[in-house]
This record gives sequence, C-alpha cells and structure tokens, in this order.
Amino acid sequence: MSSSDQQPAPTRLAMPELLIGIGLLACAAAVAWQTLAIPVSPLYSKVGPTVFPYITMTGMIVLSLLLILAAVRGGWQPQEEKETPTDLKAMGIVVAGLVANLVLIQPLGFTAASVIMFVLVCYGFGSRHTLRDALTGLILALAAYFGFARALGVNIGAGFIENQLNTVIDAIITTLRG
Amino acid sequence: MLNRRRFLMSTAAAGAAGFVATHLTPAFAQDAPQIQIFVPAAPGGGWDQTGRTIDQVLRSEKLISGSQITNVGGAGGTVGLPQFISQWKGKGNSLMVAGMVMVGAIIANKSANNLSEVTPIARLTGEFEALVVPADSPFKTAGDFVAALKADPTKVPVAGGSAGGSDHILFGLIAKTVGVPATNLSYVPFAGGGEALSALLGNQVAAGISGFGEFSEQIKAGALRLLAISADKRQDGIDAPTMKEAGIDVELFNWRGVFAPPGVSDADKAAMVTMIETMAKSDAWATECKNRNWTPILLTGDDYAKFLADDTARITAILKDLGLA
Amino acid sequence: METLSHLGHGFSVAFSPMNLLWCLVGTTLGTAIGVLPGLGPALTIALLLPITYQVAPEASFILFAGIYYGAMYGGSTTSILLNTPGESATIVTALEGNRMARSGRGGAALATSAIGSFVAGTIGTLGVAFLAPVVVKFALAFGPAEYFSLMVLAFITVSAVLGSSSVRGLTSLFIGFVIGMIGVDLQTGQPRFTFGMNELLDGVDVIIAAVGLFAVGETLYMASRRYAGKDEIVPLKGSLYMTAAEWGRSWKPWLRGALIGFPIGAMPAGGAEIPTFLSYAIEKKLSKHKEEFGTVGAIEGVAGPEAANNASAAGVLVPMLTLGLPTSATAAIMLSAFQSYGINPGPLLLTTQADLVWGLIASLFIANVILVILNLPLIGLWVRLLKIPAPQLYAGILVFATVGTYGISQSPIDLIILYLLGAAGFLMRRFDFPTAPVIIGMILGPLAETQFRRAMTISNGDWSVFYTHKLSLVLLILAFIGLAGPHIWAFIEHRRRRGPEHVPGDA
Repeated sequence: MSSSDQQPAPTRLAMPELLIGIGLLACAAAVAWQTLAIPVSPLYSKVGPTVFPYITMTGMIVLSLLLILAAVRGGWQPQEEKETPTDLKAMGIVVAGLVANLVLIQPLGFTAASVIMFVLVCYGFGSRHTLRDALTGLILALAAYFGFARALGVNIGAGFIENQLNTVIDAIITTLRG
Repeated sequence: MLNRRRFLMSTAAAGAAGFVATHLTPAFAQDAPQIQIFVPAAPGGGWDQTGRTIDQVLRSEKLISGSQITNVGGAGGTVGLPQFISQWKGKGNSLMVAGMVMVGAIIANKSANNLSEVTPIARLTGEFEALVVPADSPFKTAGDFVAALKADPTKVPVAGGSAGGSDHILFGLIAKTVGVPATNLSYVPFAGGGEALSALLGNQVAAGISGFGEFSEQIKAGALRLLAISADKRQDGIDAPTMKEAGIDVELFNWRGVFAPPGVSDADKAAMVTMIETMAKSDAWATECKNRNWTPILLTGDDYAKFLADDTARITAILKDLGLA
Repeated sequence: METLSHLGHGFSVAFSPMNLLWCLVGTTLGTAIGVLPGLGPALTIALLLPITYQVAPEASFILFAGIYYGAMYGGSTTSILLNTPGESATIVTALEGNRMARSGRGGAALATSAIGSFVAGTIGTLGVAFLAPVVVKFALAFGPAEYFSLMVLAFITVSAVLGSSSVRGLTSLFIGFVIGMIGVDLQTGQPRFTFGMNELLDGVDVIIAAVGLFAVGETLYMASRRYAGKDEIVPLKGSLYMTAAEWGRSWKPWLRGALIGFPIGAMPAGGAEIPTFLSYAIEKKLSKHKEEFGTVGAIEGVAGPEAANNASAAGVLVPMLTLGLPTSATAAIMLSAFQSYGINPGPLLLTTQADLVWGLIASLFIANVILVILNLPLIGLWVRLLKIPAPQLYAGILVFATVGTYGISQSPIDLIILYLLGAAGFLMRRFDFPTAPVIIGMILGPLAETQFRRAMTISNGDWSVFYTHKLSLVLLILAFIGLAGPHIWAFIEHRRRRGPEHVPGDA
C-alpha cells in the first residue's frame, strides 16, 4: 500500500505531491517576504517581533524540501486515494455555491444567498429535487436569521427577503397590540 | 399600543438604511425617534458597553423609542471607521462610539481614514489611569518609581494593556517628562486586564499602568498600592496624588465619545448634540457612570472638535517616540 | 463547616421557582448558542445584559451561569455530529467524536460527553466552592516563564495528533504557527503577515479556522469523492447510549480530564483549549485501544477532553470570584455585569456579596444537573441528524458555518478566510495531512511566543528564568520526559522491527 518507503526503488516522480511541496515552499517564501516587511520597532524588547517568524520560516523551508524529496521518490499518497478519480463537476458546483454565497450575501442578504448556496451544494451532491431543496434552505436560513435578530438583537445580514418579512411581522405585532 | 406612524417610520428608516430595524424591545409607543448606534468594536468591550448604556439611558429618559446597535469590530476601530464614513454618510439618526483608543489605532495602523472625517457630537466619559505597584514593592511613592526608572529603565518592567494603547501612551508620556528615552522602557503588554492584574499580584512585574477601574478593588483590598493617578485634580475617595502633584507633569483621560457620520445636516447635528447633552445631564446617566467608574467629562460640538485635534497631535508625537507611528 | 452553610444558603437562593426557571432558560439558551460557531457565551451574555437589568442580580447571574455551562455542552454536540466545533474548547472533541459518529457510535460519544461534562463540571464547581483560595494562590505563582514551560509541555502533546507522518504533521503545525501570527504583535504593536489589510490586524479567529478546515474542507472532499462511496456514515450501530464497556472506558478519562482542566482553567492565562490538548494526549497514551484513535473513534478521546473543558470552565470562576480577576471574555463580561448592579467585584466580593456568590455557585450545580437531564434524552434526536441525506446535510453545515462567521462580524473577509481554509482543508485531506495540528499551532504558537518574549523582557534578557523558577523547571522536566521517553523507546522498537514507517489507512 505504502508507495514511498516500502519498496527499494519505485522512483517515479509523483506530480501532485511535488506541486504540494512546491506550493509550501512558495508559502515559506511568502512568509519570508512578510517577515521582512515587519517594521523593525525601536521599542525595548529582548526578543523582537521577527524572531518567531524567522524560526517558522526556516521550519517551513526544511519541511517543504523534505516533502519535495518524498514526492521525487514516489510520493506518499495511498494507492487507493490516487486511483479514485476526483469528481471535478460535483466539486465545481459546490465551489460555485460557496462563491455565490460570498458574492451575494451583501447585495441580497443572508437568506437569499444561503438559499442559492443550499440549492447549488445539494445539486453538487447529486440531489435533483431542486425545488424541495430551495424550500428546505429557505426555512433553515429564515430560522437562523430570525433566531438571531429577534432573540438577541444581532443582525446577521438582512436583505430583501428579511426586510419584507420584518415588515409583515411588525404589522402583525401592531395589529395584535391593537 | 404601537401606533401606525412609528411603524411606518421605522420601516422607512430600515429601507433607507438597507437593513432592518430589529431591536430588543420592539414597539414602544412613542413619538421619540429611533436611532442607529454604530460600535466599531465587538460586542462586550468598552465601546460596546458605552453604546448599550447610551441606548439604555436614552430609552429610559424617553429621548428615543429604541435603537439598533451594529457592531463592526476590529483593529482598534479602524475596520469599522471606513465603513461608518462610506456607508452611513448623511444618516442624521446615527451615532458612532469611539475614543482615544481609536485615535491611537488610526496612527499606529496608518489607517487611510481618520476621525476628522466624521462629525464630532460629544465627548462623554473618561477614565483616568492609575500607576500602581504590588503591596510589598519597595516603591512607596511615585518619586521612588521615577528614581528607579531614571537609574535603569530596563530594570523596571511595567505591565499594562496592548502596545500603543492608552496605558502604553501614558507610560511614554511619563518617561518623556522625566527625561527617560521612550525606547529604553521595559513595557510588558497584556491582552486583558485580568492577566496584567495577576502579573502584578504575582509580583512578576515592578509596576502596572491601567484604567483606575481595573485596579480600584485590588487597591481597596490592599493588594496593590496606588502611587498616582492621571486625572486633572484630586478625586473624592481616592487617597493618591495626581501625577502633577507627584512631580510628573502629565494628565491623561482615556476618553470615549460619540460621532455622527460625515455629511449630516446642521439641524440633525444640533438635534443630536441637544439629545446627547440632555442624556449626559440626566440622573440615570450619572448613576451608570458612577457604577462603571466612568468620569463624566462632557464636551460638545466645536470644543470637542478642538480637543480632538489637540489630543491627536499629542498622541501622534508620543507614538512616534515609542516607534509606533 | 462554614463553606457548607454558605453553600446551603446559596441553594436556598437558587431553589426558588423563579430562579430555577431562569436557570432552565439559561441552560437552553446556552446550549443553542454553543451549537453555533462564532457565537459564544461571552457575546451572548453581553447581548442579554440590557434585558437582565430589569431583574434581580441573583436571577441574572443564575441565567448567566446556565448560559456559561450550557455553551460548553452545546459546542460538543456539533463537534461530534457535524465536525463543526461551536467553541474553541470543543475542537479536540471533534477529532474522535466525529469518527465515532461516523462509525455508528454518535450516541455513545454524545452520552460520554454529556455525562463527562456533568461529572467534571460538578468536580470543578466543588473545587470553586471549597478549594478556591488554595487554587488561586497556585495560579498566581504562574508567571510568563512558567507559562512558557507549560506551553513547551503542551507542544509535546502535539505528537499525539501529528498523524501517520511526522513530516506532514509538523508541516500542518507550522502552517498553524503562520496563521496564528497573523495580526498585530501584542508585544510591540507591529502588524505581521497582514499583507497590508486592516481586516487582518486582529488575526484569524480560531473557530473560523476550525470550521473551515474541518467542516468546509470535509464538504469539498466529500463532493470530490461522490462516486467513490468512501466514508459512508453509519447512523447508529448497537445501543443508542453507552455500553458497559464504554462506561468502563470513560470514567477514568472523566476524572483525569477534570483534574487537568480545573487548575489550568484557574490560571490567568490558562484557557480552556490547552487542558483539552493535554487530556487528549494523555488518554491516547494510556488507552488500551490505540488503534481506534483516528479510525473508528476512541471514546477516551471524547470523554477526557470534554471533562477537561468543563472543569476549566469552572476553574475560570476561581480567580473571578476570589480576586475579581477576569481571565476569560465571559468572566470579564460577568464582572462588568456585577458593576452595572453597583456591586464592585474584587477581592472583597466573597465577603460583601456572599448571597450572590454562593447563589451563583449553587446555580452552577443546578445548571449542571439540568443540562445532563436536558441532554441525555435529546441524544436520540441529535443522532437523527446523521440520517439527513448527504446533500442536505452538507448544504446545511455550510449555511451554519456562514451564520457563525459572517453573522457576527458582518465581514466578507471572514467568509473568504473560511473558504480559503476550506480549500486548504480539502487539499490536506486529499494528500493525507492531519488538520488538527494546524489548530493547535494557531493556539499554542502565539501563546508560547508571547509568554517567552514577556519572560525575556521582564528578566532583562536573562535565560536562566526558565530553570531557576522551580515551577518552570518542573514543567520543563516533565516535558523532557514526555518528549524523550517514548522517542527513545520508539527508536529501539523501530530498530528492532525495521517495519514500514507508515501504513496508510491504518493511521
């Protein structure tokens, strides 16, 4: 099962793992860049703000080199994981749901954005009852919104739907109180 | 009880504001306005409590029918401030809570926006700071402390709040007036008042600087000795000299106040100043201040604007010395 | 026994029907907010302050006590069932708890967590009532040097969660350090790793990171593996509650967890997370079922940390009630609530406000009882969450995560961070990197750095503080034993066997 250490020399370069290693090296470079950008403070402190970042950076460089080495020697992923094809379409739809939530939450409000995300994620996971999912999402989001807004006075991002419903609720309260 | 007019008004306001007027105690039947309070800090902190106390007193004094508090926390208020300037522009029924901490944060974070862009309404409260030492410290007076500081500042570790905050600023001011280079100070910042206090009680540090309220109970119980306070004059019931009396020519209030957004009409501004003045002179406000150890230091309108400019200049200078600006 | 009579009086205060009702409201509310990531007891109490002004101080503190303990219970429920920790103190619970839930033992995990919380909460509360003055003396002896040595000891425990490969585990830990360093450096006020963004000056919230790495990462991973049929969730296997064997494996971790959690919670900079790491590490070391850790889920890994976090919640009240020291956000808010009633919290609180303090302590006991009564029957209901079909379950978790991250801060930046960490969590899952060390690095890294630099500032650069302070030396020796002991043993073992260092799927 294990690919790298078990057999003496299956030295096939593992591309995905190599990319991970290189990515981490790039992260270490970003850490180095940001560490150099930390203003050197004339404040009295025996150990300054850059000491721990440098230690971390060094650690990351060493670790990413070790990972790259492991990748060149065949990688570390279990065979089973390697052979499973990634369902890019399903993942793409789920990611689209997340992005939609991020982009829409400010202009449309929490509920609308959540419903769109809910429907897309369900679709990505293979559900084809889009209307039912939309309704489930709506109920869930509204419950969360009003739970916060009415019980704790915290506004978690109101938009069109919330405003309309608040108007209705206020009207009901008004009539009830006579 | 609720009348139709308020209902329509609140809906209209909500529509205009782009979010809903939800509030803890909905629907009081009054013609008093509904206001929006913007707190550029997370719920629970000092500004948030100021905001919520303002809301509470305004409601109990029937000056408003209710308010909605919006918290946008982060980075000493410098995350919220740009939002208040851009998104709340021109809203005459809105107030932002801010204070000296934000002045410092704007300078230290090199924020693109500053408090000269918003409309000063009133400085409400201040908290003077206290210089304390553990009960068994060799420092009996502020003079002893200053002498040790002059001899070797690195041997006198002083605990306080975050670097660049009001406690650190006061320490910098003290050092400056007694002629010790600010960069040699051994300042030990703590994130919360409790942690700094326990460092003092556990004799980990030589002295502590923080808001008087943080220390008052420990002083009363004899666990800490109060050397001096940063108020302008002696305070009733506090047995300690001011810094000036103790020979350190420094005075500092960690003040908090309220601002309206930029671009509000003069009428709205005047109405807001009047409302806050009425509130600040009420008994309910006085009681709250007393309970919370806030010293009322009311200053409104143009006087407040001038004070703000002076304080900003002073803080900028000291933060430069401390290497934070 | 003076304490007993005080406590008796406290119960007489707390046992009025109205106050019991407040306690019930508090525990229910606490459980609800504990479930939601991002909404903790401190925030909830702060938000409820204006409402509680209208009631008597006793009633509002009983309400707060309920919220405080309730949040700890609620946080573990979502950790176990949805791998979405609601509180930072319940992150460790997710490690084994969620594995158990996936292999059909969710009911047992919830039960051991509820009963363990009750046991540890009760022990902790007894500690508050009887040991407070002693414990607080010990807690105050901890200075920066001692804390740093404690962190070193805590780091040793990280080896317990590094997973199958120490290179990948350490990589995760270092990523955690980097994320933990984002923001303003407390010691000098300089921004670090913020890429010039003001939104990053306060750093990355550990709960957002945990939800991103665990829940969002998991969701993406599952989507990418839709047809592979891997990791099917088994809703329930065997008894809903704990079996006799599971009881047998739980009670010692409960007691050990409580003993670790209470004193560390009482330390001014101890917190609730470190005891959960320590407890997890100890349980993993002592367990006779090591093979269950990280696979089907070991019940010890839930029982211990859950007990530890509840005991530490009680421990936090020690400095608060004896000295008026607020050592957590919740304690700070409770103290400011005292002030708003015109009660000055401080060293004299216990003598001047005996009614209130003992009423509060009594209501902590009652809250604990109510919580266990409330939670045990609910387990059957909670476990049904796992029967929700995957599409709706994962979509629901994402909505949930949005509420917690965006809802409180209103900042899209927080959502971006959540999703970026979700992407990282996906990659880590895909390439067999453990995610827990990231969280541990985020929490321990900055703490260790701060305490180290503080110690050096105070000592004027003299390294000897770490071994001349007796307490610090003891902790360092313990850390050394913890570090070197098993490694030497493992090295000998490795030389003897020369077996494969890593067998995937077995980790």
